[in-house]
Amino acid sequence: MLIVDDHQPFRAVARELLESAGYIVAGEAADAAGALAAVAAHAPDAVLLDVQLPDRDGFAVATELAAADGPTVVLISSRDADDYGRRVAACGARGFIPKSRLSAAAVAALLD
Amino acid sequence: MASDAATALPTRDAVRDPVLLLPLVVAAGLAVGRLGVHERVAGTRIAADLALSWALIAASLVALERPRWRRTRWLLAATPFALLGADLEWASSPALWTLGFLVEGLWAASLVQVVLTFPEGRPWSRPARIALLAAYTITLGGQLAGGLVAPDARDLLSVASQPSVAEAIDRAQGIAGVGVALAALFVVVQRVRTLGRPARRAQGPLLLAAAITALAGLVWLGWVIADDARVPTLETIARALALTIPVGIVVGIGWSRLRRPQASELVVELRSEAATTMRERLARALGDPTLDVAYRLGDGRYVDAAGGPVELPQRADRAVTAVSVRGEEIAALVHDPALLDEPALVESVRATAALVLENERLAAEVRSQLAEVRASRGRIVAAADAERRRIERNLHDGAQQRLVTLSVALGLEASRADRATADVLARAQEEVEQAVGELRELARGIHPTLLRDEGLTAAVEALARRTPLPVTVESSARDRLPDAVELAAYFVVSEALTNVVKHASATQASVLLEREPATLHVTVTDDGVGGAHLTPGSGLAGLRDRLEALDATLSIESDAAHGTSVGAVFPCGS
Repeated sequence: MLIVDDHQPFRAVARELLESAGYIVAGEAADAAGALAAVAAHAPDAVLLDVQLPDRDGFAVATELAAADGPTVVLISSRDADDYGRRVAACGARGFIPKSRLSAAAVAALLD
Repeated sequence: MASDAATALPTRDAVRDPVLLLPLVVAAGLAVGRLGVHERVAGTRIAADLALSWALIAASLVALERPRWRRTRWLLAATPFALLGADLEWASSPALWTLGFLVEGLWAASLVQVVLTFPEGRPWSRPARIALLAAYTITLGGQLAGGLVAPDARDLLSVASQPSVAEAIDRAQGIAGVGVALAALFVVVQRVRTLGRPARRAQGPLLLAAAITALAGLVWLGWVIADDARVPTLETIARALALTIPVGIVVGIGWSRLRRPQASELVVELRSEAATTMRERLARALGDPTLDVAYRLGDGRYVDAAGGPVELPQRADRAVTAVSVRGEEIAALVHDPALLDEPALVESVRATAALVLENERLAAEVRSQLAEVRASRGRIVAAADAERRRIERNLHDGAQQRLVTLSVALGLEASRADRATADVLARAQEEVEQAVGELRELARGIHPTLLRDEGLTAAVEALARRTPLPVTVESSARDRLPDAVELAAYFVVSEALTNVVKHASATQASVLLEREPATLHVTVTDDGVGGAHLTPGSGLAGLRDRLEALDATLSIESDAAHGTSVGAVFPCGS
C-alpha cells in the first residue's frame, strides 16, 4: 500500500495501523506529485489518499490514477464525505473514510 | 456673488493677428493698380476681383470674435494677395507676367484650404489633407508645367513654345480640378455628418456654400471640358462663385449670434420644467445636447450628479470649461469644442448657473460619500469572509489534523491492548472523536468547504441532509454566484433552518433557491407554529449588515396557520 498525507505524524500512525493488520506499506508521499511518482515507482495495489494536499487535491490524483487503470484508491480526510459533495463519487475512488474513523477494519471493508 | 472668468479659452495674441495684413492688401492693390494692368482687363473681371477680395477681408474681420479661427482668418486675409497676383498676367514686364502666370489659380486652392480646414485651420481628416495637397499640386504644378511651353513672349520659363501641349496641360488641369471638386464635396458631406449641433450652427452655412460651389464648379468645369470652349468670362464666373465662401462664413457667425439666448432667457431656460436635471438644463441653454457636468470634490476628483467618479476627457473633440465660485473650481462643463467660439454665451451660462451648480455639487459630494461608504461596507464584509476562510483552513490544517491523528493512534493502541486498557483507550478515542466532530461543525459554520468548492446548491443540500428534520431543496441556482452572495444566501438558509429546528415545532421544511436573470431568491418555509420575527440580536437580524452590503432584502412571514417563511432577495447580474 501507499500512504499519501501531508501530515507526517498521521502517516506514521497510519503506517503502523496498516502494518499491524498485515498490509505491506510500500511507501509514503506528502503531496500529489510525490504520490504519482511513488505509484510509478512501487506499483502498490492500493493507495490511502488524503483529500487535502498542498499542491493538487486528492480528487485530481484519484481521477488521474483511475484513468490510468492504476491502484485502488481509498480517500481519507479529516472532513466528512458530506463536505465534498458529489466529487467523492465522481473521482473513481473505491471509497471514503473520515480520518478519525480510520481503522484496519474500515480499510479491509473497502478493499476486500 | 463673485465669479471668475471661464478658463480653457485661448488667449488672443494681438501681435499675431491677421488684421495686420489688411493695410498690406490695400498697398498691394494700389501697387498692382499702378502697373496699369486694370486698363487692359474687362470691367466685370475687376469688379469680381474687388468683390471677392473685400468679401474675404470682411469675413476675416467678422471672424475676429472667434479666437480659435485665427489660422483661417490668416488664410482669408492672405487670399486677396493671390487674387492680385493673378492680375499680374496683364503686366507688360516678363518677370511680373511669369509670376502672375504661376499663381493664376493659387487663390482657388487657398479657398479650398479655407473650406477643408475650417474653422481651426487644420485639415479635418486624411482625405481632406489629400484633397488639399491635390488642389495645390494642380494649380501650382500645372502652371509650372504650362509655363515651360507657354506661347507667350513674356514667359521667362519657356523652353519651347508649344501651343498644343500648353492646351493639353490646361485641359488636364480642368479634369483634375473636377476630381478635386468631387473629393472636396465628399469630404464636406462627411464633415457635416459628424458635426455636433453647436458646430453645425456656426459652420453649417459655410459648408453648405462650399458644397453648392463645388457642385456648380463641377457642372461648369464639365461643360468647359466637354465643349472645348475657352470662355472669355471664365475667371470672372469662378470669382463670382467663390464669393459664396466668405458669405457663408459671415452668415454662419451671424446665425449663431442671432440664436444666442440673452441672459434673461438663460435664467428661464435654467429653471425650465421641461428639463429634469441640471445637465439637461445647461445642455438646452447652450444648445449642445452632448454637454456633461462634472462636479469637483474637495479632494480634486470629479463626479457626476449621482456621485459616480468621472474622468475629464482630454480629446480634441471635447472641450472643458471650468466653473468657479469665489476662486474655487466647483464644476467643469464638458462640451462640444465649437462652444469655445461663443465665449460670451458660455460665460453668461456659467455665471447664471454657478449658484445652482454649487448646490448640485454638494448633493453630488454627499452621493459620492454614500457610494464610498457602501463600497467600504462591501470591502469590510469581503475582508471578514476572507478571514473566515483563513480560520476554517487553520482549524482544519492544525487542531483537527492533530486530534484526528490522536484518535487513530488511540484506536490502534486499543486494538492491541489488554481488555481493561482497551476500554479506557476506546473511551478516550470516543471523546477525541466527539471533539473532532464539534470542531468540524464549528469550521462548517465559519466557512463551509462545500460552498467554496461546489457552490450554493450543493452546500444547501448538504445542510439539509444534516438538519434533524426532513428538508426538501429545490434549486435553479446551478451556476456559481459571486462569493459574497453565495455565503450570505447560505447563512440565511442556515440561520432559518436553525430557527426551524429550535423554535417552530415543525415536521418538515423546504428551501427554494430561484435564480433569475438579475436576482437570486432564497425562501425557507416550514409548517410550524409561526410567531417568528426579526428581533434585534437574533441570528437572522445579525445578517443585516452582510445583506445590506449586497443590497439584498430580507423578509419574514409567520403565523400559526401557515408556518414561517423567510425570504431573501439578492441582486446579482448574470
